[in-house]
Amino acid sequence: MKSFARAAFAAALLVAASPFAGPAAAQGTIKFGALYPFSGGLALLGDESFRGFELAVEERNAAGGIDGKKIEFIKGDAVDPNQAVGEARRLTSVDKVSAIFGTYSSSLSLAATQVTELAGIPYFELGAVSDPITERGFKYVYRTNATARDFANRMVDSVIEAIAPALGIKPADLKVGIIHEDSLYGQTVSGYQKTRAKEMGLNVVETLPYSAKSVDLTPVILRLKSAGVDVVLQTSYQNDTVLFFRQMKDQGYKPKAVMGAGGGYSTRDTMMAVGAENMEGALDVDFTQYNTNPKAAPGITEFVAKYKAKYGIDPRSGHSLANYMGAKVFFDAIAAAKSTDADKVRAAVMKVDIPVGETATGWGAKFSEQGQNTRAKPFLMQWQGGNLVTVFPETAAVAKMKVGVGSN
Amino acid sequence: MDVLIQLVLNGILLGSMYAIISVGLTLIFGIVRVVNFAHGEFLMVGMYAAYLLAAKFGLHPYASAIPVVLLLFALGALVQRFLIQPLLSADEHIQIFATVGLSTALVNLALLLFGADLYSVPPSAAQGSVQVAGFTLVKGQIVMFVCALALVAGLHLFMQSTALGRAIRATAQNRNAALLMGVKVDKIYVIAFGMGAACVGLASALVMPLYPVTPTIGTYFVLTAFVVVVLGGMRSMYGAFFGAMIIGLVDSLSGYYIAPDLKEVVYFALFLLILIFKPTGLFGLGRGTE
Repeated sequence: MKSFARAAFAAALLVAASPFAGPAAAQGTIKFGALYPFSGGLALLGDESFRGFELAVEERNAAGGIDGKKIEFIKGDAVDPNQAVGEARRLTSVDKVSAIFGTYSSSLSLAATQVTELAGIPYFELGAVSDPITERGFKYVYRTNATARDFANRMVDSVIEAIAPALGIKPADLKVGIIHEDSLYGQTVSGYQKTRAKEMGLNVVETLPYSAKSVDLTPVILRLKSAGVDVVLQTSYQNDTVLFFRQMKDQGYKPKAVMGAGGGYSTRDTMMAVGAENMEGALDVDFTQYNTNPKAAPGITEFVAKYKAKYGIDPRSGHSLANYMGAKVFFDAIAAAKSTDADKVRAAVMKVDIPVGETATGWGAKFSEQGQNTRAKPFLMQWQGGNLVTVFPETAAVAKMKVGVGSN
Repeated sequence: MDVLIQLVLNGILLGSMYAIISVGLTLIFGIVRVVNFAHGEFLMVGMYAAYLLAAKFGLHPYASAIPVVLLLFALGALVQRFLIQPLLSADEHIQIFATVGLSTALVNLALLLFGADLYSVPPSAAQGSVQVAGFTLVKGQIVMFVCALALVAGLHLFMQSTALGRAIRATAQNRNAALLMGVKVDKIYVIAFGMGAACVGLASALVMPLYPVTPTIGTYFVLTAFVVVVLGGMRSMYGAFFGAMIIGLVDSLSGYYIAPDLKEVVYFALFLLILIFKPTGLFGLGRGTE
């Protein structure tokens, strides 16, 4: 009984407290929460994502803030889903932020958005790719970045639009093999790939899941080899990507193209471990990286310059850029709403209409009823000479796509 | 047919890698009677050591085998002396908790020192492959196969024909009787644990050219090593060797003919069947010796 009374009291406090969120914002500042994994296993890319948000805030404040009010942000450290919930509660109820930006990791985002949705506070997702985040019918959750389905579709479409023409072969004549690590990530992306490939009439001859902890992928490679697979689509982490490339070389398997879905394919570590000459020609679908034509991604060069000036190094991955782009889109929307009221912000977000190729990531922005950006399309990149360069679509390309993988 | 022979060859070579790791685990289990859950993390420590020797002194991983083996021997001996020995008369569960704790501590120490990134040694000849009668053999794996044979043969000679080897065998057979015969059992345990860890040291130097190292790399290998040890009769070095070959073959064949993600299912099913029908392992000496 006592605990019930305490809970009721806390609830009463919460309700009583919420009206004061408005007046606090009117005093010259506007408060946002920045919810990322700042410590623990996800910290590296969590912090990289946060840097993009931080740069967007600084840029906006230097230009006079939102509606003449400076942006202030409070960090929340979401190490795991439990902590994401705890920190989202703290930000919404104790710090009384007007909106939360985040999160990099899908499991963290899925957990934290449940808190903000109940509290009626907008949640702007700038980096997590799991589709269900914007498929649960939530009213105040919005996402600028591409989802896992966008990744899978781009991979399958690239086979038809980029690889087949480059090889001079009809798409339906190419034998496609889908391989993926067998946790939720690999299952999700490969599931969308299968669906899309079927829709587009591609000939998928092998679908092989494997454990990311496997120390031997030669059975997978021999299966692909005996099936005569021309194009391999892989969804993988780092270790299994390295192992796959090394053992592919050992076994003398030479597909016409190998394409990955971000993850293990985008990092320099992977390329170094595999060797630049073996990684040569490997294709990769991911968030916009920095070797992209600035004409298709206006502001990308300036972003890199700002990043270097502030942190003293080159950006460590495309996550900062994606977060920077997303934060800017939502700052504009909040400014257009002229209020931090969740419903007015929603109306303003729904009105956002930015054509493709006019943001720093090269994406456009137009939101569905579910809050998902329908104009975020990941680019196709390729490892060439130890660098990851954008090769498709042509407007964003900085180099011509090559055919073949590795030195063999 | 060609594919089948290639898979069998791959399986044997893969098995030799498991063999080197499992022989170490068997030594520790068979003699000290401790299930060492930190075995995989010993491998990780050895791999980081080999990586550092390669990165700082340009040592080829194979050349770094000697310092890494010595380092791991020292690590194993220290763990036995200061962690396991005080708990030797305690309940078996307590020793398991101690090694599990050690494993978690080592993983997090590595995360702290190296981060979650992967490191690998510069490409070397070990990564290449040779063609023998149309079949592909990875050079680094051939080296492992030879080393696995040499290791088992060397340990056999050591156990059979040296005084220390005899003392170790006596201790393994009956601790109290050995004690009464004047064997310094505590010292034997320290040496045996050190030897088990040293085997992992050898494994890490051999594995390093083929696999990049991360803090969690140990978990990739160690579960299989446990299966191998049980399969091999838990205390038999030769059993561990043949057990590893069987697992290597099952891994390779089921990955191809069934499905790559189901190969673990196949060898754990095999593992369960053996536990049910021959609980002392394929090469065990019969009931009561496990």
